[in-house]
Amino acid sequence: MVRQQTRINRRDFLKLMGAFAGASAVVTACAPKQVPAADPTRAAPLPVDMTGAPPDPILPSVPLGIIALNRLAYGPRPGDLEVFNALGSTDEERLRVYVAQQLAPDSIDDSEFEARYAAAGFETLHKTHEELYYDHIANNPYDSNDDTYWEWYSQPARELVDATFLRAVYSKKQLVEVLADFWHNHFNVYFWQDEGVPLLVSYHRDVLRKHMLGNFRQMLEAVATHPSMLYYLNQNNSSDAGPNENFARELFELHTLGAENYFGVRDPNTIPKDANGIAIGYVDNDVYEAARAFTGWRVDDDIYEYEDGVEKTGRFLYYKPWHDRFNKLILGRYIPADQPDMQDGRDVLDLLANHPGTARFIARKLARRFIADVPPESVVEAAASVFLEYRNEPDQLKRVVETILLSPEFKQTWGAKIKRPIEAAISMMRALNTDFTRLPGGIPWMCSMMGQALFERRPPDGYPDVKEAWANSMSLLYRWNFAVAIAENWMDDEEQKRVIRTDILGQTPAQLRTAEALADYWIPRILNRPLSGPDRQAVIAVMAQEYDPRDELPQDHIDWILPAMVEVILMSPDFQWK
Amino acid sequence: MPAPRLSRRNFLQGCSAAIAGLAGARLTNVAFAQSDSPADTLVVVFLRGGWDALNVVPPMEGDDRGYYENARPDIQITNLLRLDDRFGFHPALAPLHELYQQGNMAVIHAVGLDYDTRSHFDAMEYIELGTPGSKNAASGWITRYLQGTGTSAILPALSTSGAPSSLLNYVPTVNLNDPGDFSQWDNGLAQSQQAALRQMYNGDTLLHRAGMRTLQSLDIVHPLVEQDYKPANGASYNDDELSHQLKTVARMIKLDAGLRVATVDYGGWDTHEYENDGNGGYIAELLGNLAAGLSNFYLDLDSGYTDRLSVVVISEFGRRLVQNEDYGTDHGHGNVMFALGGGVNGGRVYGAWPGLRNDQLYDHADLAVTTDYRQVLSELLARRLGNADPAAVFPGYVPSGELGIFHAG
Repeated sequence: MVRQQTRINRRDFLKLMGAFAGASAVVTACAPKQVPAADPTRAAPLPVDMTGAPPDPILPSVPLGIIALNRLAYGPRPGDLEVFNALGSTDEERLRVYVAQQLAPDSIDDSEFEARYAAAGFETLHKTHEELYYDHIANNPYDSNDDTYWEWYSQPARELVDATFLRAVYSKKQLVEVLADFWHNHFNVYFWQDEGVPLLVSYHRDVLRKHMLGNFRQMLEAVATHPSMLYYLNQNNSSDAGPNENFARELFELHTLGAENYFGVRDPNTIPKDANGIAIGYVDNDVYEAARAFTGWRVDDDIYEYEDGVEKTGRFLYYKPWHDRFNKLILGRYIPADQPDMQDGRDVLDLLANHPGTARFIARKLARRFIADVPPESVVEAAASVFLEYRNEPDQLKRVVETILLSPEFKQTWGAKIKRPIEAAISMMRALNTDFTRLPGGIPWMCSMMGQALFERRPPDGYPDVKEAWANSMSLLYRWNFAVAIAENWMDDEEQKRVIRTDILGQTPAQLRTAEALADYWIPRILNRPLSGPDRQAVIAVMAQEYDPRDELPQDHIDWILPAMVEVILMSPDFQWK
Repeated sequence: MPAPRLSRRNFLQGCSAAIAGLAGARLTNVAFAQSDSPADTLVVVFLRGGWDALNVVPPMEGDDRGYYENARPDIQITNLLRLDDRFGFHPALAPLHELYQQGNMAVIHAVGLDYDTRSHFDAMEYIELGTPGSKNAASGWITRYLQGTGTSAILPALSTSGAPSSLLNYVPTVNLNDPGDFSQWDNGLAQSQQAALRQMYNGDTLLHRAGMRTLQSLDIVHPLVEQDYKPANGASYNDDELSHQLKTVARMIKLDAGLRVATVDYGGWDTHEYENDGNGGYIAELLGNLAAGLSNFYLDLDSGYTDRLSVVVISEFGRRLVQNEDYGTDHGHGNVMFALGGGVNGGRVYGAWPGLRNDQLYDHADLAVTTDYRQVLSELLARRLGNADPAAVFPGYVPSGELGIFHAG
């Protein structure tokens, strides 16, 4: 059958990116990093010359509050550590209370953030999925040369970027923000995927945020039936006449079982089965069969009104004429022909969501976010057991996260990770009490220069979560430049009247007049702990310049140099660990 | 001392003069080394997404042309540029066809990763780590090559996009897109801040080493920051992602700082939809950019650099022989590689051709792999890169004979 041409071509999108994303939207397709995972079911690895760098030494531990606020939150704002320390009399107790609070976000008073959000005046983020589709797609006739069209088409997703930064910097529901970022990367949808850009708002809100402390199986179906994902991974065009395997493949490889449970191009009969007769991993044949099972899962998007039985609501549609009704064999499970509507796909989601391989893959990935690039197997196993035990419960994922955060491994691994670029940028704004309401475009642009433009990971694997991906010179340089841009107040967008302010002098007690005193105030203010002796001296030297560290400094010297000294603290390795 | 409140614009304007003044001093600090090896500069262009070998270098005639046309009624490529009796280039590759005819470019067909996977991420990782079937290597294949031969060059390795696994844990890698972007923002205090950072990043974790490398890179790149670049021989780089990177590589080669390897990424080849439309469509656009980028890069460097230049173009896998319902192709297996440079025995298509009849296909679906990609790279290592022991770079791999793609030094 003949399908309509994609409405929006790549060139149009590049043009739009240029218009909105800043001067040089650098599109990088950097190699995704897969962290090696020990998996006894895979063929024994080849003997490999381990000529790489030695593993990083473990850093001396820091107070638990610093670990918690850098992993469950985007770094501490001034005063946050004191609040954490008041939560109990022992570290154990404080962490338990803090995690419990953060896992019950509805009970957190977030009025400061809510006032800012109201003042920001977002115009499209309150819209339902149907309203987004109706206003910004169905009733916004396509015209690649019309800037009004492009602006209206992309406004919801652009507002989502702004609002996401606003929440990350100011919301007290910090774990929610960290998890929303985790799940958006896990079930990645690229901002500029060709169709349905405005729907990113409902995908992020009604799918990811709605389910991320809930049940994985429910989340999985919400993902698999949301138009953003259906468009992004070509599921929208997959019919019995020509199944498109893109979604089915990434469902197995990235969303559930993970590459660690992929056995490659093999006869499915050669894969061992578990006690329930389910294959312990998947092969290409499972991907093809699953692609058939999902045929007919599409979007109700008949804009040009030529398809029978299709409207233009922008909702999910099970389109029976496209469904392959014959039997399938997936992970060793026989799926009969002529099942009720959607049942074939739901059977696949059931198989995957209940699979021990999925439990381990999700547990390992969460532990990688919260504990270490290569998390200890002990915590992975513990979290995977919880995942399976509570797989039918409405708070399954909350329990998995809680298991990881309260694990002994969480407390013993300071410095096993470095902040990713977006985390570094947000944590700088938090540490300096930076003030903004509508985000100037330069902030996301700086993140793209660091290699991590928010929601702009093009491949479906999400941004890497290991330090090797981010410890490179370009990314690190723009991390440093971000510190300078924020501290010097260089990021205003005058055209859009968007202002971002950091008042370093105003946050410095007036009686501090010497380089030593200023350094000794700002180092713990930002890091919540001292620097080593030589590093402290280096900070003091920046502040002192030609003066003696104990000289009283003239005001114009302080005015000029103090931000540069603060920048150096933000650029230090100590600020990057988590 | 009254401190001027500089705007960034003011500062950047003042900055160029300051940098011009500093450049000499900085350069003596880093003591530019001449290349300490007769090896070529290697440029690896990785096409992310799995490029469609059978629409890049389709069969010209015979039975295989018939199988090809039957399998791809809507997306077959016509008006091919003849390579030999069997194969032609997609017409969008015309600029590269000239290089091929001049003998500066070779094609290796039915080449690839001889491991059963159709996963982008697995395939890229296996290829770049150089360890098919294992993702446990702590270093990439280029890392092991550079560590094996050793180098004292200031700028041994450059990545113009991200941190590729081929250079995993090779700390001296400089990562930058564009020298013009690679500058430290500051309010007139960069030197003082850098002195502090040199102290703070003096350590032995990955982060420390990366920070120190960033500081060194600033010294290396500084002289280029404010200069306009004039490509040689009238070469003209387009304004796309690939050309931008290749221009940066050319500038860094001409810096004569001993660049040994540069990695370049060009994404967007995962053509599940609307791949071809009457020789137009996604793949024509991508190939047009690739051809323009590489041919201008070659022209630019044909000013005394191409004799010691080897470029390889590689992608994680090819695509299914049969088109899908969306005028695209799904993930496949066997692939095609390009090699360019003064050391290439060009104007030929290398590799045994497995055929496209159903029983000749991999998994009855895809072009088979008859040449391991490591064969090509092993020949390159031995003939052009001064490394006669490919087993140290590709553990457990033994090349089978020699296709003769490259001539010695």
